[in-house]
Amino acid sequence: MTNHLEISHLWFRHQAASDYILKDISLTIGRGEVIALVGLSGCGKSTLCYCIAGIIPRIYPGELKGEILLEGKPITEMTLPQVACRLGFVFQNPDNQLFSPTVEDEIAFGPENLCLPQPEIEKRVVESLSMVGMLQHRYKNPHHLSGGQKQLIALAAVLALNPEILIFDEALSQLDSRGKAMIQQQIRDLKSKGKTIIMIEHDLNNIVLADRVLHLKQGALIAYSGSF
Amino acid sequence: MIPSLRLDPRAKLVIVICISTLAVFLEKLSFMLALLVATLLVAWLFQLHSSRSIGRIKKVLSVIIFIAMLQSLFTNAGTPLLSIGHITIISTYGLQRGVGVLLRISIIVLSAALLTTSSSRDIVQGLIQWKMPYELAFMVSIGIRFLPLLAEEIQDTFVALQLRGVELKKIPMKRKIKTYSYLLMPMVSSVLIKGRELSMAMELRAFRAYPERSSLRTLKMKHMDYAFILLSLSLTSAVFYIYMHY
Repeated sequence: MTNHLEISHLWFRHQAASDYILKDISLTIGRGEVIALVGLSGCGKSTLCYCIAGIIPRIYPGELKGEILLEGKPITEMTLPQVACRLGFVFQNPDNQLFSPTVEDEIAFGPENLCLPQPEIEKRVVESLSMVGMLQHRYKNPHHLSGGQKQLIALAAVLALNPEILIFDEALSQLDSRGKAMIQQQIRDLKSKGKTIIMIEHDLNNIVLADRVLHLKQGALIAYSGSF
Repeated sequence: MIPSLRLDPRAKLVIVICISTLAVFLEKLSFMLALLVATLLVAWLFQLHSSRSIGRIKKVLSVIIFIAMLQSLFTNAGTPLLSIGHITIISTYGLQRGVGVLLRISIIVLSAALLTTSSSRDIVQGLIQWKMPYELAFMVSIGIRFLPLLAEEIQDTFVALQLRGVELKKIPMKRKIKTYSYLLMPMVSSVLIKGRELSMAMELRAFRAYPERSSLRTLKMKHMDYAFILLSLSLTSAVFYIYMHY
């Protein structure tokens, strides 16, 4: 497996904080690997993923030290749209990710931003919705769907940009058992397609999907021993 | 019943702009009444459910009555209809102004409701094709989309407060204002969090990757759209001419 993502000696401190929330984190993730990131609330799991996605320090300001290489290229040298073509991010709350009046518009948003021609956008809309099994909901209002379905639409919207790395930030936490099963199946399918996946998880039942489980404790990454 | 008119959102926008401009400009009650009838006719043509708009107008009725009273209290014009001593509570002038405001608001609310017959995505697309910057058009659409969510958020905060035993209807005004001020911070912070999450989701879907963007859908104006635009502009000009000269 070639390295897809490399983090070396990463330190991060929020603007108003006195102490670093991430302390000397080094991590290498191979292509097609599924990583689960566990830890107590507020330990910095989401912060680490925001650093990986380039959200920090662009949207969340703070002091960032160290290096993150995405497909061998420093993330600091890439713009957020450039990151978006390589890395997709599915957030915890689907309501804050969906903003279009129809599912079709929601999926087309990313490809439209990339200035893709109309037939290519159409192709990506159909492919992404088919991938998550939601093609029949194409013309519906996303806010009229169930929680699990909304999260699938959020995932399809990310997949329309064809990223190789996917981050799920507690994407299953607000879903019922049916919704969870839908997303878990998608993670399995994406894994079989060779996508690199990072899952932030609280629920230990979901980490069975992972090849490797990492525990973030007091700002450092340690091997997961079975409990937080 | 006639089949619903399926016009381009840009044609609807022109109709709304024409009607609203007339509503703001016209002063004479007879003209405003005629404009209200014309607006109701347009609403019927578009098979608009006017009941929701009427509901909205009802909500501002008390404000309109208040305006009518203020106009009567602070101007000497007109014949007094209701007075206490030397103070005129309602005069014919105040009543006329109040009815004028009611008609104006009714026309604007009804005409604006025409836009609800198009999806917000189509309206944004129409504005972009009219060379409006995408960010600006998108901002309007996001505003419309998030208003109900914010209302829900405020409602939830009030319910949470009432569940703690605070009966907002029973407490005195001074305490009520103080309580509202406590609610302000969590509501503002929740709105900011929502806004930040939304901006992150958008940025990570390549928002503003290039100065231009392509579109899955493209709106095309038909002969009917041009006819309605021409008709609206001609009628508006004619009304202006008649109003100024007669």
